[in-house]
Amino acid sequence: MSSRGPLSEVEVALPSDVALHARPAANFVKTAMRFRCRVMVGVNGKTADAKSILAVLALGATGGTHLSLSAEGEDADAALNALATCVSGLVE
Amino acid sequence: MSHSFELAHGLARLASQVAGDGVRVEPAGGGPDGSLGTTDGSVRDAITRANSGQGVVVLGDLGSSILTVKHLLEEGHTNGHVRLVDAPFVEGAIAAAVMSSAGMELDDVARAAEEARGANKF
Repeated sequence: MSSRGPLSEVEVALPSDVALHARPAANFVKTAMRFRCRVMVGVNGKTADAKSILAVLALGATGGTHLSLSAEGEDADAALNALATCVSGLVE
Repeated sequence: MSHSFELAHGLARLASQVAGDGVRVEPAGGGPDGSLGTTDGSVRDAITRANSGQGVVVLGDLGSSILTVKHLLEEGHTNGHVRLVDAPFVEGAIAAAVMSSAGMELDDVARAAEEARGANKF
């Protein structure tokens, strides 16, 4: 196992009527920033740093899209739990 | 804040649209009679209008517009917490406005603007 801590992955779908833009994207990034681990979010083969608002906006994830979240670090599991909850609860 | 009225107002409109109604994005740009430039008065007024929350993040387009803001800050002509950030004009404004819409702290909003320097367009 890497000295940086465990790698964790989870897949979660955006609510069908919420795109990952504007305030929903900001709330997603705000949640990721609470954790120390590195968090990546992947959509349709594109991957972004979950703590970078411009990178997350550039994904252009539309409502209902499945997001692949991965995190590496000591608080990776907690980060992914928090982000999965955040994503499923996003509203426009 | 821009030397150009159109650039300042266009970017403010874009950032407002992306970030939503909850964020105050206020433009200052252009000199008297439609000339290019920045004036102390227009920058000061924009900062005052924007200062409705924890503070204000200020972005400028080019060097001498930055000097206008530095002058205002040094002279103490602004109230509250005003942060001049060294950031790409368009990307920095979008990043700051969107993060502000989620109620981030002033420091985090300023940092998001500065980190826009490292963001790739594609």
